[in-house]
Amino acid sequence: MYLSLNWLKDLVDIPSSLKPRELGDKLTMHTVEIDSVETQAEKFNNVVIGKVLEVSDHPNADRLRVAVVDAGLKEDLKIVCGAPNLEKGQMVAVALVGAQLPNGLVIEERAVRGELSQGMICAEDELGLGDDHAGIMVLEKGAKIGKPFSEYLKLDDVAFEVDNKSITNRPDLWGHLGMAREIAAFLGVKTTKKFKKILEAKMEAKGPEELDVKVEDKELCPRYSAVKIEGLTVKPSPKWIADRLSAAGMRPINNIVDATNYVMLELGQPLHAFDADLVESIVVRKAKKSEKTETLDGKARELDPSMVVITDGKKTIAIAGVMGGKDSEVNENTKDILLESANFDPVNIRRTSQKLGLRTESSMRFEKSIDPNMTVIALARCLEILKETCPKAKFTSQVFDESNFKLDQGPIELNLSWLAKEIGEDLGEKKIEETLIDLGFEIKKDKDNWQISIPSWRATKDVGIKEDIVEEIVRIHGYDELKPENPLVPMRSSLVNKERKLEADVRDVLSGACHMSEVYNYSFTSEDKLKKLNISPSGYIRLANPITNVHTLLRQNLFSNMVDNVKTNQARYDELSLFELGKVYFDTPGNINKYPDQEDNLPFQETRIGLLEAGGKQEEVYRKLKGKLEYLCEKLGLNVHYGVSEMIPDWADKETYASMIVEGEEVGFIFKFDQKTLGGLGVKKETAVAEIYLPKIISLAEARGDKKYQEPPKYPAVERDLAFVVDDKVLYNDIKEEIESFDGLVSKVELFDVYQGGQLGSGLKSLAFHIEYRDSQRTLESKEVDDLQKKLSKSLQDKFDAKIRDF
Amino acid sequence: MKKELEKIKKEILDELENIKSGQALEDLEIKFLGRKGELNNILKKIKDLSNDQKKEIGRFANQVKSEITERIEELKGAFEKKEDSFVDVTLPGKKIKPGRLHPITQIQRELEDIFSSMGFMIMEGPELESDYYNFEVLNIPKDHPARDMQDTFFIDKKDKDGRYDTVMRTQVTSIQVRAIEKYGAPLRCIMPGRVFRAEDIDACHEHTFYQMDGFMVGKNLSVANMITLMKEVLAKIFPGELKMRTRPGYFPFVEPGIEIDVSCTICGGQGCSACKNSGWLEIFPGGMIHPNVLKAAGLDPEEYNGFAFDIGVTRLAMMKYGVDNIRLFNSGDLRFLEQF
Repeated sequence: MYLSLNWLKDLVDIPSSLKPRELGDKLTMHTVEIDSVETQAEKFNNVVIGKVLEVSDHPNADRLRVAVVDAGLKEDLKIVCGAPNLEKGQMVAVALVGAQLPNGLVIEERAVRGELSQGMICAEDELGLGDDHAGIMVLEKGAKIGKPFSEYLKLDDVAFEVDNKSITNRPDLWGHLGMAREIAAFLGVKTTKKFKKILEAKMEAKGPEELDVKVEDKELCPRYSAVKIEGLTVKPSPKWIADRLSAAGMRPINNIVDATNYVMLELGQPLHAFDADLVESIVVRKAKKSEKTETLDGKARELDPSMVVITDGKKTIAIAGVMGGKDSEVNENTKDILLESANFDPVNIRRTSQKLGLRTESSMRFEKSIDPNMTVIALARCLEILKETCPKAKFTSQVFDESNFKLDQGPIELNLSWLAKEIGEDLGEKKIEETLIDLGFEIKKDKDNWQISIPSWRATKDVGIKEDIVEEIVRIHGYDELKPENPLVPMRSSLVNKERKLEADVRDVLSGACHMSEVYNYSFTSEDKLKKLNISPSGYIRLANPITNVHTLLRQNLFSNMVDNVKTNQARYDELSLFELGKVYFDTPGNINKYPDQEDNLPFQETRIGLLEAGGKQEEVYRKLKGKLEYLCEKLGLNVHYGVSEMIPDWADKETYASMIVEGEEVGFIFKFDQKTLGGLGVKKETAVAEIYLPKIISLAEARGDKKYQEPPKYPAVERDLAFVVDDKVLYNDIKEEIESFDGLVSKVELFDVYQGGQLGSGLKSLAFHIEYRDSQRTLESKEVDDLQKKLSKSLQDKFDAKIRDF
Repeated sequence: MKKELEKIKKEILDELENIKSGQALEDLEIKFLGRKGELNNILKKIKDLSNDQKKEIGRFANQVKSEITERIEELKGAFEKKEDSFVDVTLPGKKIKPGRLHPITQIQRELEDIFSSMGFMIMEGPELESDYYNFEVLNIPKDHPARDMQDTFFIDKKDKDGRYDTVMRTQVTSIQVRAIEKYGAPLRCIMPGRVFRAEDIDACHEHTFYQMDGFMVGKNLSVANMITLMKEVLAKIFPGELKMRTRPGYFPFVEPGIEIDVSCTICGGQGCSACKNSGWLEIFPGGMIHPNVLKAAGLDPEEYNGFAFDIGVTRLAMMKYGVDNIRLFNSGDLRFLEQF
């Protein structure tokens, strides 16, 4: 919405010393966000007055001509122009190169059908001054060559652009009058006599005629006022009205339409004028199923029974509060009008305008819950404006006015010491009283307890509790004017969020010693993606309203998106090491409640740690990833080993899929992607991933408790190496377990070499272990250890058919 | 045998005195100390001795060996220094490619540190949230524009009234009531996390981004407290001279609502495209927690009050690092990620 400074000055005494920009800043600081402050003259930067010196035909185009124009510059301009009314000797508005016209057009020097054109001779619509595009705008003879066009128009107004979002809760600020009230309050100045006069307007209906109006749905139409006005002639509005509408961002159309718009922009109350000759009676009702109507904008609209329409008893003549109908609109022959000033249910209007995809100046206001008390005042004001062009205009009917609304105007109880405590400062009784009175509140005092009545224009939904009054007082005072004061609270240290802390540790380890880079991926996936991974989407949680077909389902793992990161980077990097911490979502009830006191739980969601290695040699990728995984677990104090999984998913390389096990609990999985799957995804690098279930890790880490010091062993250990060849299907886990449990003196078992292929031949692998023997009570004799080694070798031979290698 | 050892020790030490080069030293080492060296030949005989002698000679032999080894090592060091070629100290070391933390992680940490130092606890909540916690408790009535289909990702599951009752949370403010329910009052808490809006993605818009909300509840908090604390936080986020201004703002879950702006970090307040020519950046909305929200959290608004605020973490990261394309954060593109 735009505000006109001249208009505001009509309604409030703005000191002339206050610069427009300062007023804009103050509005922002006390009331609404002002996005820009623009003098009207700025709209016509680089548009000057020129004289057409010569006109000649365009050599290459029948409809175009070439004009030589004196625009007060050193050299005359050559301008190609298509207007039929162009004539030698005319004074015209010339947009010079660099001008940006109100319709957004930027003027450049360019060739038009082979002829150079150094500017543009403007038509009214191009200048935003009307909708005439029949020809160029011809100026009065007295216009001075080279002078700015804005001077010719005598434009002295300033437009403030209001951020509409910042007044969604302020129905009273959708017109100049409400803004003027605010300005008076924060500047500490008075509103004008005109301000009062507009609001005090009394309807004195002059005509005897009773309007035939019936409001069938009083719920959705809490007030309907209407009156007949006769004695009108359709013509252009006077310049001052047109100027104000333009400054407020509306295009002048004709005196009647302009008058309704003028009143709306002034009071915030939308009006609609029907041609009285085309409308005999009015019925406000719900639309019928599949009812069709043509709106003012020439579009056919299909309605449904949730919408409210205005009908003449037979056909629909307007969609209530949204837009008038084509059939009954004011036209050049209109003499009498039926003027509607109503109030409609805000929620219903918003839904209707959404359903129709039709947001209008009118619907925008109704959906904010405007004050139903304004309807009749607006009718009176509209007649006043119409009289500017048609002095004989008058009401020729009784005013129809039916209402069914009740506003809660309080009073609100306000205790002054509570107020001071809530604000953090006592602003003084006088200041508080003045502010509230300026804003239209009424006060009944009982010492420190005040009863505050809410003005009707703030009572529709905006103000209702004492905290709302706090806002009124502090914002008019100015938030930055408050004395700074820190909260006084007990100096308690905060509870530690263990999960967050562990997440931070994980990130540090992975980005640190593991040299991995952190990625963030979307929480979503799609059917198409899952298909490529051979995963059925049936168990996936689905978005009801996805906005793109690549994000339709909620992810159940991190790797399906992480593998795309390989694709993104594979052309530029030989090897990739990535990790991600993110949530996955499952369609089973989790452990977080949906409501405070019900059993119902939200779907299961957990944080996962995803690790990915890509590039490099086949086996290395997998083992490198395992190494990092083990390093991470060791840093977290967890002892991890791998388990063979019974269920191997299709997307994994069968031989590499394993579960991660800590203290007997499965905490994640690791695998190398199947080559075919990678191919289908467009990934060209060998890729291995692991995923860890963070909540599992957290509970295991917590159960572990604090670290405890252990005294180093008193007696030395004896180390022996043992290498042997076994069938490659014999599991490391089994061998390790066998060695560990084979004798009580075995204190540590560590694999230090694995070898496959080469001279060994296929189907075999060689494993080499460091084995440490230790007795906590004595030094072991080398002979007894040698004997143990022999026994161990024998048992490995028996159990696993191991062939001991000799070094 | 002891004599034999004494003799060889003297022999070796003498030869060592006259040694001239590193190569000669190496030869000498092999000759005397190698596996088949002279010293070893003597030591092999120890096993034939009686047990008592074994102990005595063994100890002496070790002493001799270590004396000689020490001397050899000493000389080795000296020769190496002399003989080695020129060391180019300007050569780089072995390349270690550093891992990186995502820029959002880094900004989040900065913010968490600021708030932790002020005694705020950190709480997270579910990303897939109920309509109840995301909207209802936050005083967002059924027909509030923020509930429109175009803003919120709804989960395709309806409650018994035929309405979608779960959403991808549109704000981390949804954790506020959960936190008070869990920990009661007084409480000060920040709530970082990922939020979702059903918006088409372009350079300026994302459907997935990060926020950090915070709040304090207690018995004697005030508007002045709120502004003072929020400005303190801003001064930490943007060190140096920075202008701030506090103005009214509207959010359904606070009353009164405010916005604190900072002078544009790009143009310094002169007006540029980043600040839409206003000279100010909207960065920090907040407000006194609405009594309806306190009630929903089980607190009596006559006894308790509080304030809440919200930091757009992704937006802050864009400002701080000069990122002009929001899509980069979720792109996984290392050309972007490796810059942080």
